[in-house]
Amino acid sequence: MDLATFDTSLLHATIERALRRGGDFAEVFVEDRDSLGLRLEDGRIEQTSGGREVGAAVRLLSGEHTYYAYSDAVDEAGLSAAADAVAAAVSAGADGPEIVDLGAVLSDPAKNPVRVPPGGVAIARKALLVRAGDEAARAASSEIVQATVGYGDTRQRVLIANSLGDLVFDDRTRTRFVAQVVARRGDVIQTGHETVGGSAGFELVDEEIARRVARSAAEKATIMLDSKPAPVGAMPVVLANGFGGTLFHEACGHGLEADAIAKGASIYEGKLGEIVAAPHVDAYDDGSIPNGWGSQAYDDEGVPTQKTMVIEDGRLTGYLYDRLRAREAGAAPTGNGRRQSFRHVPIPRMTTTYIAPGDATPEEIIAATPRGFYAKSLAGGQVEPASGNFVFGVAEGYLIEDGRITTPLRGATLVGNGIDILMKIDLIAGDFDVKTGVCGKDGQGVPVGTGQATLRIAEMTVGGTG
Amino acid sequence: MFDILDAVLERAQARGAADVEVFGETSTSRRIKVYRQEVEQLTAAQRRGVGVRVFSGGAVGHAYTSDLSDGALDDVVQRAVDNAAVSDPDEFMALPQPAGEPADVHPYDPRLADATDEQRIAVALEVEATALAADPRVKTVEDTMYVDGDGEVFIASTAGVRGSFRAGQCYAFAYVLAEQEGQVETGYSYSVGRALEDLDATAVGAEATARATRLLGAKKCPSMKAPVILDPFVSAAFFGVLSSALTADAVQKGRSLFAGREGERVAGELLELVDDGTLEDGLDSAPFDGEGVPCGRTPLISGGVLQGFLYDTYTARKAGRASTGNGMRGGYSSLPGVRPSNLVVTGPATPLDDIVAGMERGVLVTDAVGIHSGANPVSGEFSVGISGVLIENGRFTTPVHEVTLAGDIVGMLTGIRALGDDARWVPGGSIFTPSVVIEGMAIGGT
Repeated sequence: MDLATFDTSLLHATIERALRRGGDFAEVFVEDRDSLGLRLEDGRIEQTSGGREVGAAVRLLSGEHTYYAYSDAVDEAGLSAAADAVAAAVSAGADGPEIVDLGAVLSDPAKNPVRVPPGGVAIARKALLVRAGDEAARAASSEIVQATVGYGDTRQRVLIANSLGDLVFDDRTRTRFVAQVVARRGDVIQTGHETVGGSAGFELVDEEIARRVARSAAEKATIMLDSKPAPVGAMPVVLANGFGGTLFHEACGHGLEADAIAKGASIYEGKLGEIVAAPHVDAYDDGSIPNGWGSQAYDDEGVPTQKTMVIEDGRLTGYLYDRLRAREAGAAPTGNGRRQSFRHVPIPRMTTTYIAPGDATPEEIIAATPRGFYAKSLAGGQVEPASGNFVFGVAEGYLIEDGRITTPLRGATLVGNGIDILMKIDLIAGDFDVKTGVCGKDGQGVPVGTGQATLRIAEMTVGGTG
Repeated sequence: MFDILDAVLERAQARGAADVEVFGETSTSRRIKVYRQEVEQLTAAQRRGVGVRVFSGGAVGHAYTSDLSDGALDDVVQRAVDNAAVSDPDEFMALPQPAGEPADVHPYDPRLADATDEQRIAVALEVEATALAADPRVKTVEDTMYVDGDGEVFIASTAGVRGSFRAGQCYAFAYVLAEQEGQVETGYSYSVGRALEDLDATAVGAEATARATRLLGAKKCPSMKAPVILDPFVSAAFFGVLSSALTADAVQKGRSLFAGREGERVAGELLELVDDGTLEDGLDSAPFDGEGVPCGRTPLISGGVLQGFLYDTYTARKAGRASTGNGMRGGYSSLPGVRPSNLVVTGPATPLDDIVAGMERGVLVTDAVGIHSGANPVSGEFSVGISGVLIENGRFTTPVHEVTLAGDIVGMLTGIRALGDDARWVPGGSIFTPSVVIEGMAIGGT
C-alpha cells in the first residue's frame, strides 16, 4: 500500500457510507508509520527494533457526539467495516450533510524539508552515532557508571479526507537522539539527560552532535554528585532557557487547550482579553516552526499548522483548537488537532509552546537575585488544568547566593499555580531556546517542543528534602 | 493466528535464522465517554499484528508489522534479520526455551463480549449521574468513561514454545471537579473487573465526588516533619515507581538502589510485598509472560527484608537462575522487558479510624502529582506535590493542597509503621494495596 497513490474514490465512498444514517461531519484518516529504534546500554547495542504499522480510522461527528472506529486493514473491507461501525452508533436516522467532492490532494513538503531521508541510511551508520555518544559520555568522567544512548527515526505518512472536501497528504519524518547518563560516587547516584530532535532527517545528528549531547548529559550527572538536598520553602526561582519552557507548557499551555476550556476544566476559561501574566509576557504556540520537533505541515485533521499568539503583553489572546472544539465555540481551528496514531481520537494539543524572549541577559538576572533557586533543567511535570496547580521535578538545580550560582541542589520540586506564577515573572532574558519532549494527555503521547529564555519568577514554592 | 506465526517461523528459517520467536496479538476494544448525560465519544477498535525476534549468536533483532499479508511477513522477517546484524552479541541472550506448564489462571470472562453498547453506555451514564447527584458543589464531571479490552495473544518459537490465551478487562472511571468560592478541587475513582457485571458504577461516581469535595477549602499548611497516611491510590503510585528498582534489569545495569541488598532490612518489618501473576482477580494475571514463561508468585519484601528481584529470560541467564515469568510485553510492537505483573502489598491491618485517632499531627494524602517526574528511581529521592487532609489530635481538620512531600524511597519504606484495613486493586500498574502509614516525612508548605 502506498498512500501517495491511494485510491481517493475509496475515501469518498467511505465518507458517504459513514454518513448514511446521519451525522454532520465525517473523516477518514489513513496512516502508514515506519519506525526504527536503536538503544545502547551497558556499552552494548541492545535488541534493535523497528516496524511498520498501517491502519485507518473513520470519525463521525453528530452534534456534540463523536463516533470513532479504526482497523489495521486499510482496504475496502476494513474501511467499510469502520464506516459501518460509526454509522451504526448514530441514533438519528436523519440524512447526513451534502458531501463535498474531494479536491486535489494538498501537501506541503517544503515546510519541514528532509535533506537525508533516514530510511535510505544504513542501520550500521546509525549505530555509529549511539556508539559515539556512549564513548563521549564515559570519557567525560571516571564517575560515569552507566550510559543509555538512543537513536530513533520515524516516517509517518497520513492521508486525511473529510466531508468538507478536504484532502491532505502529509509525509512526516522525525529524528531524535537521546542520552541518559548515570554517575556514582560512593552511595550517591545521580542521572543526567539530554536530547536533540526535530521534524527533519538524518542530517539532524552526526557523530559530533551525538558526542556533544552525551557529554552534556554526563556533565549534568557529575555536577549533581556534589549536590546537597534542596531547601524547602518559598523563594525567587530562575528558570534556565530551553528546558525551563516546560513551566509554560504545564502551568499554562494545557489550560489553553480548547477541550479543557469547553468543559469548564481550565482556569483560563472565560478569561480572553484578561490579564493572566505579567505585563511584559508574550507567548505563542507554533506548529509551523521549520523542522521543529513539534512541527508538521498539517495537524492530524488536515488543518495547516500556524503560529498562534496566546498571550500578548500579559493578556490572554487565544485558545488552541481542534475542529470539534472550534466548531462548538464558533472559532476557527488553529491546527492543534493532534492524535498519537490512527488508534486515537484527535484532541486539542500543543505543538511548540513558548514564552517570547525579553531583553535582559541571564547574567543580569542571576546578579539581581540575592538568594534563590536556579533550575537549570527540569525533569518533567504535571498539571491539573482545572485548578492550575502544577508540579515539576528539577533534574539540575542550584542555590543562588549573593547574585551568584553556588551549590548544586538535588531532589527539588517546584510547585505552584499557573496564573499566579505567570503573574510573578519579573525578568526575561534574550537567550531563547527550544527543547524536545513527548507530552502525554488522555493516554496519547505526541511530540512537543517547549521553549523560553532564562526568566525569573519572583516567588515560588520549592519542595526539597533539606 | 498460529498459521501466520508458523509462516513467519518458516520464512525466517528459510533465510538462515535458526532461533526465532514470534508473538501475535488480536484484540478488540470499546471506549465510551459520556458528558452531561449524553454519549460524547464512542470508539470501536480492532487491533492485530505480529512481532518477531531473531537471535543470532547472542545478538537480537526485533521487527513488527500490523500488515499480515505475504509481502509484509517477508519484510518483517528481513527487518528482524537486519536488526540482529546491528545489535551487539551478549553471551546471556538466547531464545527462551519451553519452561513448563502455563499457570492455572483464567483472565477472561465470556460475559465481557456479551455486553451490548447500550449496557456499556448505561454504566457510564450511571457513574456520571451518581457523581453529579452526590454533592451540589460538583462543578462538572470532566471525564466519565467505560473502557474495555478483549484480546488474544499467541506465541511460537523454533525452540518449541507454543501457546495462546485470551484476556479481558473493563473499567469505569470518573474525574470530578468540585468548586467552592472560586476554588476548584478534583477527585477521581475507578471500578475494574473482567466483565461489565463486576463494575460498581454508583461507588465510582460517589467516591470521585467525595474525593474532590473533601479537598474544598484547602490551604497550604506549614512546613513540618510529620507522619503521613498515603491512601491506596497514592500508595499504589509510589509502589509502582519503586517496583522498577526491584527488577533484575535495573539491578544488573546499576540503576537500582536495592542492588546487592538481598537479605537486608529495607522496609518496616510488617511489610510484605509480592509480585503475583497468578491471582484470579489480578488485572495483569496471565498463564504466561511475553516470552512464553509461566507467570508465578515472587516474594520481593518479606518481614521488611528484601527477598529478591523480578527476572525475564535474559536477566535470569545472566544471574544464573530461572526467569520469574516477568518478561512482559506491551503489545506486538514492543520488546519484552522486566516488569511486575500484579504487585500485592500486605501485612497486619489496622482499622483506618484507629490510625487517625492515634495520630497527634499528620496528613492523609489523597492525591500526589508528579510522582513519575518528581521521583528518581535510581537515587530513590523524590519530591512530589500533594493534596490531602490535615490530622490534628486524632481528627481530620483542614484540607491541604499545593504542598510538597519529599524524602527517599528507602527512608520511606523503613518508615512504614502501619497498614490500613482498606486494601483494594488500583489499576494503572495493577497494584493491590491498603493505606500506608509512614513516619517522619518532610512536608513543604508555608
